[in-house]
Amino acid sequence: MTTVVQYILSGLAIGGIYALVALGFHIMWSSAKAVNFAHGDTLMIGGLLAVYLLAAGLPLGLACLVAVAAGGLFGLVLERIAVRPFLSQQGSVGWMLTTIAVGIMVESFATIQTQGYARPLPSPGVVSSVHILGAGIYPQELVIPLVAVVAMLGLRALQRHTLVGRAMRAVAHNKNAAALMGINVNAVVAFSFALAGLLGAAAGVLVAPVVQASAAMGVLPGLKGFAVAIIGGITSAPGVVITGLVYGVMEKFVEGYISTAAREIIGFSLMILTLLVFPQGLFGKREVMKV
Amino acid sequence: MPPQSILRGQLLAAAVALGLSTSLSATAALADQEPCIGNSAAVTGPAAFSGQAIKMGAEIAIEEINAAGGVLGKKLRLIQYDDAGAPPRGVDNTRRIALADKCIAVLGGFHSTVALAQVDPVHEIGIPYMGVWAANTKAIENGRDPNFMFRVSAKDKWVARFLVDEALKVSKTGKVAFFYENTGWGNGALPDVKAALAAKGKELVAAETFNWNDQDMSPQVIRARDAGADVVIVWSLDREANQILRSMDKASWKPAIVGAWGISGNLGELAGPLANGVRVMQTYSFLTPQSEAGKKLLAAVEARTGIKDPKDIKAPSGIANSYDAVYVLADAIKIAGSFDWKKVQQALYQVSRDGLVAPYKPAFDKADPERQDAILPQYYLLTVWHDGKLIPLKGSPYDK
Repeated sequence: MTTVVQYILSGLAIGGIYALVALGFHIMWSSAKAVNFAHGDTLMIGGLLAVYLLAAGLPLGLACLVAVAAGGLFGLVLERIAVRPFLSQQGSVGWMLTTIAVGIMVESFATIQTQGYARPLPSPGVVSSVHILGAGIYPQELVIPLVAVVAMLGLRALQRHTLVGRAMRAVAHNKNAAALMGINVNAVVAFSFALAGLLGAAAGVLVAPVVQASAAMGVLPGLKGFAVAIIGGITSAPGVVITGLVYGVMEKFVEGYISTAAREIIGFSLMILTLLVFPQGLFGKREVMKV
Repeated sequence: MPPQSILRGQLLAAAVALGLSTSLSATAALADQEPCIGNSAAVTGPAAFSGQAIKMGAEIAIEEINAAGGVLGKKLRLIQYDDAGAPPRGVDNTRRIALADKCIAVLGGFHSTVALAQVDPVHEIGIPYMGVWAANTKAIENGRDPNFMFRVSAKDKWVARFLVDEALKVSKTGKVAFFYENTGWGNGALPDVKAALAAKGKELVAAETFNWNDQDMSPQVIRARDAGADVVIVWSLDREANQILRSMDKASWKPAIVGAWGISGNLGELAGPLANGVRVMQTYSFLTPQSEAGKKLLAAVEARTGIKDPKDIKAPSGIANSYDAVYVLADAIKIAGSFDWKKVQQALYQVSRDGLVAPYKPAFDKADPERQDAILPQYYLLTVWHDGKLIPLKGSPYDK
């Protein structure tokens, strides 16, 4: 029983990160029909920057806030230089290459800065573990899935009740029509990328105390987060968050009852199977592309 | 002859001459090595610290050797290549060092997967390879004769025996678990650890693996705990070892931990007090009483890095191994009286010197395939994490 609870709690913590990353992919895809493949690296930017700002003498809270803001700025800049120039051309996939390229550059730069070492980010949430039904977990880890759910609800509120949110939905629905209605499509897309960047960096700041900040910390969550976004249906925010949490828990059970080495094999096999049965993802809406 | 065909004839002659001269220079190139040592190590990537340490140790040794007159009247040079831990790049670098730079020997790097991949090109070309870090047993004990792979570093087979001895010393129940990373280094160590335990009439109660960047080790920790282990041998790098320690903390389980030297980087910083008492095998420490050579190296390292406290020097084993390896190579070159690969390979068996890490008397033994490794296990050192620093176990609060 304790073991099962342990796997569920640990799985939710990992899954919360996948969910937050996937949510970022959802936001970008909805408005731009393109994503930032360097999104995993926004986690690293958030986590590492928080570590460096703290070392530079900023108080922990402020260091984290500035690091999250920097993630948003990264999203904004990346959209402008690596995504927008390619979106004006029909069917161009140049943004795939450029965003991956920027990601590799940022990661290489971080490696040079850290010399490959992971750096700790102190947090009151990892000082000691708490025990729930005999299973141990850090409070920090419990917060992560909660933040993912709150972010999802917040996004929903934003889209329903604010002007910019409604503009995001309009752009997602039909870019040209939205433009004809006087919506500045470019600004909305830029806003989406910045928002996704904020979420990604926040995920990085949240997870860094648990996994340590390092140049490569965003690689795996970035990949898994994208996988989760696809399985969950990239058009559905609740879909990707639920899928993220479930995927994290599923991984822990595979690690616990089969083997750690089998984790990726089973995880990605399930992903392919799911896509064969639900080509739009579990919760995704069918998208009509007019050519 | 019309002007056009004159031109054609001249072109033809020039082409033939050019072809002849390149083929001539190619043969000459094979015969004439340059006074350089080429290093392929991870200067970028997650293990970039290792490449920096190797480079520093080698450069300091080369500076000293050159100050004393160089080798065979020439100044020795280091040519640094980056393999980022990727085997194909290591192979490419090996060819470059041998065929383009025409160096006398290849200095190895941190990653065992790279070292294993280098075995083939090293023997194809026939250039001596000197390992300074990667400890995989089969990279050096590769069954070749003549064997061009040498090492001034630890060997997993011996490290396994060393750590198993220590594990059984601290264990109350004799139940040992093994945590190893899913890489060439970790997987290569599994049979070594099993064999070392079998020699003591014991078996592992749990063997758990994990991948780089794994963020939580709860399942592995729970299985090992439930198997009743009271000591865990760890074959991991700092980042993952930190996750192991944290998962143990969450599972309220505090076994004794003895680790191979992958956790000698910044585990103390990452895991904080959780790392206290974690034992780590090393080949060298700047915190033991230093020999004259040790003091000299320490001063050179401090001058280069600006580090004031020897406790803050990361990867002392990598620096010291690389330093010694270059000296061993220089000795072999002097004995060979030539930069020729084959002659240097033969001369390596005649090197005999008092090294920094260990005495090498002789450094290698041609009659014993196990003795392509220069540092014998009795010179391995046990250190322990204490309040963020790695200190010698002897005389530490954990030395009971």
